[in-house]
Amino acid sequence: MNSFVRLVTVELSRLLHRRAALVLVAACIVVPTIIGVAVVLDTRPPSASEVAQAEQQMEAERNNPDFEDGVEQCIADPQGWGGYGPDIAAGSEEAEKVCRSDMEPRLENYLYSAQLDIGQERDSGSGIAITLILAMAMMLLGTTFTGHDWASGSVSNQLLFEPRRLRVWFAKAIVVTGAATALAAVVLTSYWLAIGQVARSRDRLGDGVLLDCLQMGWRAAAVTGVAALLGFALTMLFRSTVATLGILFGIALAGGILLGAFGVSDRWNPALNVGAVITDGITYYAEVPCSQEAIEAMGGDYGYCSEERELTLAQGAGVLGTAVVGACLLSLAWFRQRDVP
Amino acid sequence: MSDLVIETSGLRKEFRTRRGGLRVAVQNLDLAVPAGGGVHGFLGPNGSGKTTTIRMLLGLARPTRGTMRLFGEPVPEKLPQVIGRVGAVVESPKFSPNSSGRLNLSLLADAIGAPRSRVDEAIATVQLDGREKDRYKGYSLGMKQRLAIAATLLKDPQLLILDEPTNGLDPAGIREIRETIRSLGEAGVTVLLSSHILAEVQQVCTSATIIGNGKLLASGRVDDLLGSSTAHRVVVPEPHLAIEVLGAAGLAAVADQEAVRVETDDAARITQVLGEAGVWLTELTPLRPDLETFFLALTDAERLGAEA
Repeated sequence: MNSFVRLVTVELSRLLHRRAALVLVAACIVVPTIIGVAVVLDTRPPSASEVAQAEQQMEAERNNPDFEDGVEQCIADPQGWGGYGPDIAAGSEEAEKVCRSDMEPRLENYLYSAQLDIGQERDSGSGIAITLILAMAMMLLGTTFTGHDWASGSVSNQLLFEPRRLRVWFAKAIVVTGAATALAAVVLTSYWLAIGQVARSRDRLGDGVLLDCLQMGWRAAAVTGVAALLGFALTMLFRSTVATLGILFGIALAGGILLGAFGVSDRWNPALNVGAVITDGITYYAEVPCSQEAIEAMGGDYGYCSEERELTLAQGAGVLGTAVVGACLLSLAWFRQRDVP
Repeated sequence: MSDLVIETSGLRKEFRTRRGGLRVAVQNLDLAVPAGGGVHGFLGPNGSGKTTTIRMLLGLARPTRGTMRLFGEPVPEKLPQVIGRVGAVVESPKFSPNSSGRLNLSLLADAIGAPRSRVDEAIATVQLDGREKDRYKGYSLGMKQRLAIAATLLKDPQLLILDEPTNGLDPAGIREIRETIRSLGEAGVTVLLSSHILAEVQQVCTSATIIGNGKLLASGRVDDLLGSSTAHRVVVPEPHLAIEVLGAAGLAAVADQEAVRVETDDAARITQVLGEAGVWLTELTPLRPDLETFFLALTDAERLGAEA
């Protein structure tokens, strides 16, 4: 076996024997499963007994004298009661029609059940949540995998058996990135296929939506792999899990504030760029000097106006790629040059 | 092939201190350890630069200046080519604490493509059988040391670099490791043994290098370093008579507790003088400085020189 392949195999074995890594992998499977089950249960169609109960409640409400009193008051004063326009005259047939139509008890008012919308799950629902959970867990995997080696001092022992530091760095990086990407791809593909199957069984799966979800899942898997690589590279640079997590937390906490304070465009906001990659482009708003047209429309110059802009997948990938490659090069150079304790 | 297994020339290592100053750990060190087996002691007080030198030889630290060779090959440039022939324990053993001793060894063996049978052999050699599946963090310090030595044996090394290998071992363990080191040296493995226990070094080492404040103080065969005896201790029934007789023969002799100390390296002359006077000796011992005395004299002189 080629010595580098052998080294990669050893690092994979080392990763699979780490308890913390196994806990994180388990979390990446269990948490999306729980979220998926919750989504399916929350959106399940109402049972026959629930419909019957709701119909009973609806009928009871319809027969309630207060309901008829309310309708009559609305007909007598449609503007005061219903907020209708002046074109609906009090006591008219039109007033009775709109008041009764709006105040009539409906079945859905008594059935508190959302419907499964796979497109919404993808854009702003569970898809984004699961992606964030996977990315954070795999970034933690990247940091803890090598942070453990630095904490125990076993890096020096490993180098006594393979002194080519670049090889050691790349073998570990390949294992961390590959494992995180593969795990996220499997989890997200399984998730969307399962949700898609449920949506199909409820006859709520539109054309091409599932493919969109799967493609988003694969982009998210790539982002997750990159997150793990970044966590690994920074830990090889700082030689401490705690230091790396502290710095990442600081960037997450203060990064946006600093960008805003220095007037840097949201174009460079890491979270926005991650979003652009995952969702295949994203819309954001930039503060720009108001145009003459806008000044005239507003009746005065108020300084800056919000302008809608599009951040494409390629632009987002470019920003993230540059940042991650920069961090990796710094990490590599540092690991190659510095003394190992 | 070079006849030196380790060779350094003008080796220097500087560290930047946190306050921006400079600390020199190793200064122009010329180290030569001959090939062909045997145990070479590497001695020096704490902070004298022994571990730093070893770490530079093994590629864990970069020298500021100077050259190093292992098996005649320049390192760190050619370290990957020779590391397979070098086993090393640097400072305290360093393994993954939550993994078993066996798993730690297996991962290292896999990294160099050594067969799993080598792991079993190494475990047996250091007598960790029965505990090899326990987690490393549950090991005693002595067991950790044994595991570190087992790791060096995975390579079937021609050069063993051991930095304080008997730290934490009980007396029986120290004797076992000493015997292991001695037998490896006799079997043709060259061992560089860094230790503070000088009596132990004297027992197993054929040659030694002594450093202080990062500088070479002495190097050579142990016998040559200590020199021949310049005095003898004589035990006789009547010490006062012996002193008188020896003095009359021109030999300086003084009472030394129940014995007599005679300032000459000529043992035959002592026996002749005493015999002719009818004073029969019961014990005649050449007095030589031991390694500890020699070491302390050298390092004290170095310390005083540095302070001056």
